[in-house]
Amino acid sequence: MTTAQFVIRTEGLTKVFGKVRALDGLDLAIRQGEVHGFLGPNGSGKSTTIRVLLGLMKATSGRAELFGRDPWANAALLHHRLAYVAGDVALWPALTGGQCLDVLGATHSGINKRRRADLIQRFDLDPTKRVRDYSKGNRQKVALIAALAADAELLVLDEPTSGLDPLMEQAFQECVRNRRQDGSTVLLSSHIMGEVEALADRVSIIRRGRTVTSGTLAELRSRTRSTVHAVTAREPDGLAGAEGVADHHTERLDGHVDSRFTIDTGHLDAVIGRLHAAGIHTLTVTPPSLDALFLRNYEKSPTPDEADGDVVAAEAAS
Amino acid sequence: MSTGAHGAPDHTGGLATMLSITARIQRRNALLWVLALGASMVGTAAGVASLYDTPAKIHSYAAAVTTGNALLAINGKVEGIDSLGGVIQDEFGFMASFLLPLLGIALVARATRREEEAGRLELFLGGRIARHEPTLAALLVATATIAVTAVLFAVGLAVSGVAVAGAVLYASSLGALAFVFAGLAALLAQLTRHARDVYLWCVMALAASYVLRGVGDTTRTWVGWLSPLGWAEKAAPLGAQRWWTLAIPVAVGLAFGGAAVALAARRDLGSALAGGGVGPQHASPALRSPFGFAAWLHRPAILGWLAGGVLLGGMMGALSRQLLSAMAGNPALAQAMGIAGGRPLDGFVAATQLYLAVIAAGYVVQAFGTLRAEEADGRLETRLSGTLTRIRWLATHTLVVLGGLIIVVLVSSLVLGLATAVSVGNLAELGPTLASGLAYLPAELVFAGLALALYGCRPRMFFIAWAGYAAATFIAFLGPGLKFRQWVLDVAPTTHVGNPPLGTAQPAALIVMAVIALVLAAVGCAAFRRRGVPQG
Repeated sequence: MTTAQFVIRTEGLTKVFGKVRALDGLDLAIRQGEVHGFLGPNGSGKSTTIRVLLGLMKATSGRAELFGRDPWANAALLHHRLAYVAGDVALWPALTGGQCLDVLGATHSGINKRRRADLIQRFDLDPTKRVRDYSKGNRQKVALIAALAADAELLVLDEPTSGLDPLMEQAFQECVRNRRQDGSTVLLSSHIMGEVEALADRVSIIRRGRTVTSGTLAELRSRTRSTVHAVTAREPDGLAGAEGVADHHTERLDGHVDSRFTIDTGHLDAVIGRLHAAGIHTLTVTPPSLDALFLRNYEKSPTPDEADGDVVAAEAAS
Repeated sequence: MSTGAHGAPDHTGGLATMLSITARIQRRNALLWVLALGASMVGTAAGVASLYDTPAKIHSYAAAVTTGNALLAINGKVEGIDSLGGVIQDEFGFMASFLLPLLGIALVARATRREEEAGRLELFLGGRIARHEPTLAALLVATATIAVTAVLFAVGLAVSGVAVAGAVLYASSLGALAFVFAGLAALLAQLTRHARDVYLWCVMALAASYVLRGVGDTTRTWVGWLSPLGWAEKAAPLGAQRWWTLAIPVAVGLAFGGAAVALAARRDLGSALAGGGVGPQHASPALRSPFGFAAWLHRPAILGWLAGGVLLGGMMGALSRQLLSAMAGNPALAQAMGIAGGRPLDGFVAATQLYLAVIAAGYVVQAFGTLRAEEADGRLETRLSGTLTRIRWLATHTLVVLGGLIIVVLVSSLVLGLATAVSVGNLAELGPTLASGLAYLPAELVFAGLALALYGCRPRMFFIAWAGYAAATFIAFLGPGLKFRQWVLDVAPTTHVGNPPLGTAQPAALIVMAVIALVLAAVGCAAFRRRGVPQG
């Protein structure tokens, strides 16, 4: 794949603030037309990455490219093609919501008036109220509407739905899907796994300024383990020693055999064969949720180096 | 903290907790106020004591400033002026009548409505704090700060040679003045929706007090008794020593504060008398342009400082004829006002222009401080994530700030010139008055350069700009009168202007200051281009 297809690309990006290494060799690649989920705990460097990508901060070392160019040198030029919602939405308290929308819109290259009106209605925003009288959720809506109404190829959204209610969350997801259909690229930094699972084509998880894992959700899942709970008529033959099986527990219940274990997705077929031979009574196979993927990446990887791709099995709650 | 019987938690710890929180939040701010006020008072007292070291000198000063009504209106009527303490009270009177009320207002507004507006009050009230306790704690901390300030005043005055009773009464009357405004601010914080409205209404009340006190003093009527500034004056610490007058500000302050605490206990969180209005759905084309937006952002600062300049210029101009005739009758008055030699009218305009220059410099520092606030509050990040380049953003704001500076200087000078011309009946004063106002521009630009350099290089260090401004103001106002050493006087940029129109403006010095300002500004711009945004 050539660089031209990447809207955003960083390689070995580092950013040092005094003694703190906020970014420590971060790699990120976002293809044109995809919604890219950007996950990481608080303080892992998501906002710093975004600020470097917007040319607001200069990387200490490494490479950052936005539309194939250096964002630090060409910040304002590249901003013609994107719209941004900052992690901490800060607006001018004395302006009304509508005025803020227009001021923010004017800083983007263009605002689609019909879309603006449509979004105000969809997000149920009163644009005549002063920002200082808005709740946090309403301030968030102003920033979101301004970004979503802009004619931008790239939307950079830093935790855009914090403070929104589930109804608004749904409206937001719909809008992002629409924009994706129109061909826009979206960088979505978020804490809300359901939102990322629902929207993202690909996901990057970072930790302490480094990329821990990256790929489509299916890829991430295939690299991890599913949880199996099977009740069979007989003891499955050689299950405990089978390739890919771990965390195996078994017990006899009411004349059935109750087995729980985790499995590499690649060996699932062979193991199901063994279960089948033992006479399946009930069977649940639970793929890891994004939540579990995320948590596992943080709980069980002491150093970022060994974490890449080597994700320990997730225990799905049942 | 322990709880009492089950289901009935004991609540005694709430106020103590709130007091320690408020004290912690306010401690730096309060310390700065106490030190600045204490230094101004002690500096003034020590300076006056060394300058007026014989009864004869004090007598001639007293005779000078009591000639005519003009100085009565400005500094207030000092009973017992024919004494060391009297001279100090007169010299400090103008500054004190603004600084002490502002002390009370700032301490309380910061700890009440601002905390509520920011949503932090909700955090406290969600804890074990009762609704009225934050207001009560704010008032108690403010009162303690005021008390410390008053003690410093009393000690400073006594050390300078003022009789102890007079020193204590004078310090108490100033403390009581601050207390009234602290109570007023606490009450307004319950009634208005935003901290800026608390400041606005308090400052209007202060302006009204000043006018009432001036009217009362010049007409010698009861009108002065309507003003908190009048109550402080009627205590007459160096004259009749009416201790009982202290009861008035204390009672009024307690009434205001009590009403505020009672209201805080009864009203809903976030509520106010005045509801939030609605506004336009769309931004005007001007607001959408970078230049128009910058103008909108700096407009409050421009208008606020301009109002100060216009009021001062108008007041001084209107009083000019009275002052001149007083000076003609008593040459020592010119000396006391810091106007020596040359044409009295020129000296008078020059003295006023120095005040206007300090106003203009204050505006400049505040305007660049607005940029700092834009960044610290996170709005700059949004602004620069668009198609506006950094350097264009900074250049646009700098241009607007400088445009505002020229408006403040020109309009204030114009009002001063016109009021003077009307008062003395000679329009020929207008040109030199305007020219002398403009001559201060390079000195004001040095403050702009300093503020811009700090903002560009180390935005967290922006307070240095304010500290420099405070020091320069103190030196400019009191340095010459108190005979500071030349190198101290030279620290203030205004010293180098040449005191026009009494003296001649110094072109070489003006050019040097303009170059210094340019270099500082260039350093600030270059640093701003290279640094990360935002720096909190």
